[in-house]
Amino acid sequence: MTDKAENRLDRLSMPAAAGVLLWISRTVFGLLASYPLVLAIRATSMTAGPDGDAVLFQPGSLLLLELLRLGAPWLGSAAEFALLSLALFAVLELIPLSMALDLLAVPGRTLLERLARALRLFPKFFVLGVIGLLVQAALLLVASLLGSALKPAFASADERLQTIAPLALLGLGLLACAWFGAVLDIARATLVRHVAPSGSRVALAQALDCLRQQPLRVLLGSYSSMVGSALAFLTACWLLARFVPLEPSGAAVALTFAVHQLATLFAITWRVRWLGSALELSDESD
Amino acid sequence: MRRVTHDLLLGGVFSALCGLLLNALLLTTGSTKAPLPAAKNAEPVWPPLVESPPKVASYTIEAKLDTERHRITGRETIHFINRSNTALNELWFHLYLNAFKNDKTLFLRSPFGAGRSGDKAKEYGYVDVKRLTIRGADGQDLWVNRDRHSPNDPEDETDIRVPLPSSLESGSELDLELEFEDQLPELVERTGFVGSYHFIGQWFPKLARLEPNGTFAHFSFHAQSEFYADFGDYDVSLDVPSTFRVGATGSRIRETQDKGRTQLGYRAANVHDFAWTAWDRFETRSERVAGTEVRVLYPPHHEQNAEAELASVRFALPHFNARYGPYPYPTLTLVHPPENAANSGGMEYPQLITTGGPWYSTYGGARFIDVVTTHELGHQWFYGLLASNEHTEPFLDEGFNSYAEAEALEARYGNASVFGGFGLSASSTALNRLFSAARGEDEKIAQGAADFATFRSLGALVYSRTATVLSTLARVYGRERFNHALGVYARKFRFQHPTQADFLNVMQTELDSRAVTALTRALSERATVDYLVREISNAPVSAPAGVFDGPGGREQKKPEAPHEATEYTSRVVVYRHGTLELPVDIELRFEDGTLQLRHWDGSGFTFNVDNVGPSKLASVYVDPEQRILLDDDRSNNWLTTRSNSAPRVSERALYAAQVLLGAFGP
Repeated sequence: MTDKAENRLDRLSMPAAAGVLLWISRTVFGLLASYPLVLAIRATSMTAGPDGDAVLFQPGSLLLLELLRLGAPWLGSAAEFALLSLALFAVLELIPLSMALDLLAVPGRTLLERLARALRLFPKFFVLGVIGLLVQAALLLVASLLGSALKPAFASADERLQTIAPLALLGLGLLACAWFGAVLDIARATLVRHVAPSGSRVALAQALDCLRQQPLRVLLGSYSSMVGSALAFLTACWLLARFVPLEPSGAAVALTFAVHQLATLFAITWRVRWLGSALELSDESD
Repeated sequence: MRRVTHDLLLGGVFSALCGLLLNALLLTTGSTKAPLPAAKNAEPVWPPLVESPPKVASYTIEAKLDTERHRITGRETIHFINRSNTALNELWFHLYLNAFKNDKTLFLRSPFGAGRSGDKAKEYGYVDVKRLTIRGADGQDLWVNRDRHSPNDPEDETDIRVPLPSSLESGSELDLELEFEDQLPELVERTGFVGSYHFIGQWFPKLARLEPNGTFAHFSFHAQSEFYADFGDYDVSLDVPSTFRVGATGSRIRETQDKGRTQLGYRAANVHDFAWTAWDRFETRSERVAGTEVRVLYPPHHEQNAEAELASVRFALPHFNARYGPYPYPTLTLVHPPENAANSGGMEYPQLITTGGPWYSTYGGARFIDVVTTHELGHQWFYGLLASNEHTEPFLDEGFNSYAEAEALEARYGNASVFGGFGLSASSTALNRLFSAARGEDEKIAQGAADFATFRSLGALVYSRTATVLSTLARVYGRERFNHALGVYARKFRFQHPTQADFLNVMQTELDSRAVTALTRALSERATVDYLVREISNAPVSAPAGVFDGPGGREQKKPEAPHEATEYTSRVVVYRHGTLELPVDIELRFEDGTLQLRHWDGSGFTFNVDNVGPSKLASVYVDPEQRILLDDDRSNNWLTTRSNSAPRVSERALYAAQVLLGAFGP
């Protein structure tokens, strides 16, 4: 095999490996987070009948609502626990994310080397994550306060404007959050790409510089990733609602699982594509 | 008035959303059932219809609305006929606008906001009667001799006794002439103003219903209670600014304009109340549905809601006509209040109903508009035509109507009668059960509105549990049979004031005494039911062993060596907790895939299900068709020998976690 062909293979296989890595981590974390909720549902005996848990999906939701009524005390606690677990796993996902960026940026390392590097970078990734969380919370707060401040101005307007205006502001806040999320990705890419150690602050400053220089590339790159993910999930919903039979069968469960995981993989693929762009943007801004 | 607007609706929507959220978390697959066809016209036999009631109190009213000061100046004539069997020495007037006079009235004095809206008044309202005379008499003002307050309640002026100067013999008539002035409150509940929007109910001095024994069914206006009145004819003239649009009980029969004001005349025959609304921003749509002129008044930009309301009427009016007898009036007015006047929404008056909901109510699969419109329309029968005492037996209108609403919505939308979209669905029946399950022992259903501990309790029992009781009977006796029985009741007591006893008599005739027993226990005795199974037993059948004395002498048979059994004896014991005896099916599934259905008539407290066959019993399911909606706990209705793995739940929970991590993770 020529060097050229090897390079091409690397270019093809590294994103795939990054995608698979992210999918595996998300699946493992998802299983761990959701298991307490599944146990709580099973503990209600609502899934212990001859039709198993298919009764919860019957049209009309008679028995699904019965599950909520009977299992409310356990389900509430289990849901809280699941959400807390998700928050913890969202932090731990920084490690596979770092490894995925490493896979995209530097070919030739072993998985163990990448893991060791990801663990070394974890504190910096964590600091970036905390900064991101604070900035995004502030953005949403500003959007919400702006909505409240403008409420009197809309008091005499028609009901539609009164409803839509605060929602639109919140939507803009969310878009701004996503934009800042893209900046964080570029900062992470900078941290991963640099061989010499650099701090979170420097990486963030460089990412903001990149945003200033190429705002449209950052915007379009990150948003196309989001739109792609959303499309994947909506398509899965549509496919399942339209084509998967309601009857409780093993095949229906398997088909649903396959469609859901394909949607997840598709969304991750879009994310990996954007991470590749983030690495390029970071490279160009050096 | 319905649960839709406040406590119950909010609770309902919240619970539904919780359910749907969980389902969304689990991302239900599959679509909802296709809508079921409307009720068949199968030529059932009905009792003859009464076309008009005996009239007791007919009103002629002239009212002028000052939209700036929110005051009404009125003159009223009541043509009253003593149709009781005794002479009368007094009259009882309901002055329900006085419920909003101050914070000490019976209606407003609860510190917990006991009313349906839970709101206190911001600007108070009241009615002042200026003068009451008898036409053709000596002009004496009877009002000066009235009691100053409601019986045994010095703080309340909603239930006022007026002595008559002389006895009014049975069968005699008189014309009472009144002058009154209303100050409308800022909208508290049903009545009042918000800005230039006015909704005006319980606004004129009105006689309490005269019972056949000569007593007046009078009661102060309690926040949990509704109304009760005699049938009569109403001729009402309304004077409003010409910029205002008006909707009212009855048909508009005249309209004149003079100096920037419009005088509108309305006539309503054979009704027992009159309400109206006036607003300078109403938009209107009209349409003829099943021979009735239907008019919708709605706020600007609510065209989608107006269309949804008309669509509901297009389905439900013919449906109710077929079920409960034809709607007898030429007009029906629907009022959709503006969003800031939601407290006047979800209410029924003769020939006029109010709906409600924000402009986006029709989006996203929720059937809010359909639910509230169908419910309020149903009240034209269970309240309007069957004018039961809502104060003492509120379940007869609200409960029966909740059943009628659910039945009509499910005829229209199948199981997606409350929500249908994104592959998810929720039915009215499921929600009624959710609100009322395990509440059967809290309080009696069949009690006065003011006797309920809280309005939430009233809502759960009067609306939801009554509907669930009736739905259970419909599922046990067959929907068509039960609906026919309810149709007989609705026709037989049309233009009357039926009681629980009247209803039970019809059920005795149309169903059977077991149905009446179940109804009596469920409605009046806090009866509940819970069917449950605890264990499944399987044992191989083998030849009996031991020492046997027979004609041929003593014989000793050894136990057979262990081998693959060819027959098994299986047993399940089904228990019934509670005092409601309802027949139930029991489904048995065997390991070889065969199914058996056993029937238990519900008598006794246990029922042994035994079987001898070639396969072990794998599972048991009590009430697989989910007929006994009153069953307090459905999670103990089944048992299986298989493991409880919940693959669908696991799969969807995993996917939900993955989506959340993708959305909120790094």
